[in-house]
Amino acid sequence: MITCLGDLLFPEVGVAMVKLLRRLGVTLDFPEGQTCCGMPLFNSGYHHDAALVAARTVRLFERSEHVIVPSGSCAWMVKTEYPGLLEDDPALRAPAEALARKTYELSQFLVDVLGVTTVDSPFKGRVTYHDSCHLLRGLGESQNPRKLLRAVKGCELVELPGSDECCGFGGSFSVRLPEVSTAVLDKKLGNVESTGADCLVACDAGCLMQMGGGLSRRGSRVRALHLAQVLEPEAGA
Amino acid sequence: MTTRADFLGGIRREMAKTRGLFEARTAARPSDAGEAFEVVKRQMAERWPQALTRFQEEFERIAGVFHRVRRLDGVPGVIRRIADEREARRILSWHPGALGLDLRESLGRQGLSVTLAPDDDPDAEARRLHRDEAARAEIGVTGVDWALAETGTLVLVSGRGRPRSTSLLPATHVAVFDRGRLLESLEQVGAMLEALHADPSRSMSGAVINFITGPSRTADIELTLTRGVHGPKEVHAIFVEAP
Amino acid sequence: MSDAPLKTPFPQRAHAALGDAHLQEALTIATTKFIGLRKESFAGFPAGEALRDRARAIKEATLQKLDAHLERLADNVERLGGHVHWAATGDEARDIILRLCRDKGVRMAVKSKSMATEEIELNEALEAAGVKPVETDLGEYIIQLAHEKPSHIIAPAIHKTKGQVADLFSKELGGRFEADPEVLTAVARKELRQKFLEADMGITGANFAVAETGTIVLVTNEGNGRMVTSLPRIHVAVMGMEKVIPTMTDLMVFLSILARSATGQKLSSYTTLVRGPRQPGEVEGPEELHLILMDNGRTRQIAGTLREALYCLRCGACLNVCPVYRQIGGHAYGYTYPGPIGILLTAMLKGTHAVKDLAHASSLCGACKDVCPVRIDIPRMLVELREHVDRERIAPLGERMVFGLARRAMASPGLFRLGARLGRLAQRPFVRNGRLTSLPLFFGQWTRTRDLPPVAARTFSERWKDLDRP
Repeated sequence: MITCLGDLLFPEVGVAMVKLLRRLGVTLDFPEGQTCCGMPLFNSGYHHDAALVAARTVRLFERSEHVIVPSGSCAWMVKTEYPGLLEDDPALRAPAEALARKTYELSQFLVDVLGVTTVDSPFKGRVTYHDSCHLLRGLGESQNPRKLLRAVKGCELVELPGSDECCGFGGSFSVRLPEVSTAVLDKKLGNVESTGADCLVACDAGCLMQMGGGLSRRGSRVRALHLAQVLEPEAGA
Repeated sequence: MTTRADFLGGIRREMAKTRGLFEARTAARPSDAGEAFEVVKRQMAERWPQALTRFQEEFERIAGVFHRVRRLDGVPGVIRRIADEREARRILSWHPGALGLDLRESLGRQGLSVTLAPDDDPDAEARRLHRDEAARAEIGVTGVDWALAETGTLVLVSGRGRPRSTSLLPATHVAVFDRGRLLESLEQVGAMLEALHADPSRSMSGAVINFITGPSRTADIELTLTRGVHGPKEVHAIFVEAP
Repeated sequence: MSDAPLKTPFPQRAHAALGDAHLQEALTIATTKFIGLRKESFAGFPAGEALRDRARAIKEATLQKLDAHLERLADNVERLGGHVHWAATGDEARDIILRLCRDKGVRMAVKSKSMATEEIELNEALEAAGVKPVETDLGEYIIQLAHEKPSHIIAPAIHKTKGQVADLFSKELGGRFEADPEVLTAVARKELRQKFLEADMGITGANFAVAETGTIVLVTNEGNGRMVTSLPRIHVAVMGMEKVIPTMTDLMVFLSILARSATGQKLSSYTTLVRGPRQPGEVEGPEELHLILMDNGRTRQIAGTLREALYCLRCGACLNVCPVYRQIGGHAYGYTYPGPIGILLTAMLKGTHAVKDLAHASSLCGACKDVCPVRIDIPRMLVELREHVDRERIAPLGERMVFGLARRAMASPGLFRLGARLGRLAQRPFVRNGRLTSLPLFFGQWTRTRDLPPVAARTFSERWKDLDRP
């Protein structure tokens, strides 16, 4: 599942993910016609609309064995909210639950399904890792991305102070209350810069858009990268 | 004006609309409060030494000052020292019937002013007098109903001869207890409270039970901890070894 | 804060808070400290997680038999010689207290900290009736002097630096006091000691009320809660009806996690169990005890969306970790209860309309739910409130149009692809060095402070065919 932000704004992350997974022996397909998981609608309270989008997504992935998502929040949406959204639909209730079970955020797929904890990568640099809210609290994941980063030989992982604090994105929050969103972001980026890292890594497109956007605006030399781009750096832009 | 029936009627109407969010139970209570009480007593008869060690640790952790004497007659000496160190002269004490010790006899003769809480039925005048004394006292001496090791807490039940303000108004509170008072966990306190309220003969003499965990404190200004806001600035606990 | 819509819209209030340097400094100090204290406390407390589950279950189970527990509580309080009053609304609760003051000749009342009394704006009503209310909790005392409202559920004056408190005391009390918390606390102790001894009435809230025994439970640190319930001749406790719990055994579960969640203490300095007015033989204690059980919008939630919010212990932990609260503080929320739980409580007390902006004052990060001692799923209820706002068509037309468009694009891949192509075209004049730095209209809300990656020259879907080769 490429996700809307992944498709439109960060295709290089998708490409890196594909190359990485193939390198690890996974056969991939890409159901055509993907749009969005519907989370923006859901979070703003448009639940009826979100259910329609969920229904579409469930059908699209009906024949997939595992669905891998380079974004913690989208994986969370599918795994925790889809079953509830479609529980009153007799045709889609079971497929929604099935999709929830077979959907994985990338780092969780690598470690928990493929059993991979060491990925060879020519990546060199000092990185710091941000725990995206939905991956951390929604899916309970904080260890796997760190494990994978530490296992990259040229990669030095420095803990980010306040790594579990929100980056301020929150979807529409970032534009409904842009000042507050930016104040939260500034705090996050202050922490990032205090680590001396050259790279900020996260597993969520929303967070990367927010943090990358802030870093770029302040002319920081710190690059915001998705985990896949550290594990497969030569995927090509 | 809303009556009880109106108020509860409204609640019942709403309750009827839902079964609730999930199946849930309240805490499991001892089926026989009296027996649970006895069980705790038996447990503590054996475990009091460990409880005492733990109590001291926790009490000191929250800035309590711990003392130890061999016998009850050693208590006045400790209080004397505390008073001298603070240049305090006025002492307020629970009635000897509640404390197990008459401080007026021991300390009154050493130049300290000791007021004992009354244990008869006070009239308005007696109340006023006691209140004035309590407001002026520098050290308040009480007994302890339970000393909770888990948190370093002193539990005091109010009542005849054991006023609430003795452990509240004076700047220094001194509490005297022995091994029979020690409890280990909040859970045990719960069992004791269940028994206390279940059996009218094991009565509470007063309307208030205070759990006192260290001196009075606040962090309302910039979260900086300061002690002795309205209640005592210091709490002392004197453990009497003799049973 | 009456029922009239607040004059300044929320985004403006937030803006003012963000620009207040003192506030920002105070918030950072306070919330960071609170977070550390709570974390440390639970780290050394492995039994804590199971106790939180139990506490949550007790709250839910109590709601399932709420009427019986309230009845039992009332019977017991009355049996002990106390009086129970039933207040359907905040107005009624206020009127009951005013009537008591009138009938009993009360001229001065000392108050222990009570959010329930803040909720019903009691102080203003007392003053108007010629009764002097004196706040005795240090934080409440500070804000009373400053004519402000509390900005945090348990630390009302946390928005003030010590310098500001010193200035306030110097101005209001006469004198020159250093900006030293010890000095300032001593000033308050001295000022308030006499008030405790002279007051006619003591007013408190109630953290819990044990139905089985008729006990009102107060969790405090300063000692003012004890003073206020022992020295004046009348004690009035104002309690939200959802605070009732069945037994003493249940109480222990809550006590084991409440102070830890609020301040990182194992137990607060004083946990006071009050059972009726003074007993015969007691030389101290009130002659009369009045317990006011208050509804004020709570009953409506028993079968409502916000039922879970009735579990709240008012510990404030959710405020401390909320990225929004940490940036704007309590006053910007505009109502009695701030922070994540505050948004839900405001909806409960004032209706959905009151939170049409506040429901969005959250990034849904979930930190609140993580630290809530009774595991209230605040984010879920915020999203449901947003749904109500949408359903009741409270959201502005422009917003609903944007989301309508988004929904259509999500439902149709053709439209989605078209959107991408149009985006690529429209963004051309705005791309600088491979980024979008300044966009017009609505998108400017983002680009004012952050860059945006442009729509890719080729989306992933468009690149797939190149990738889909062995």
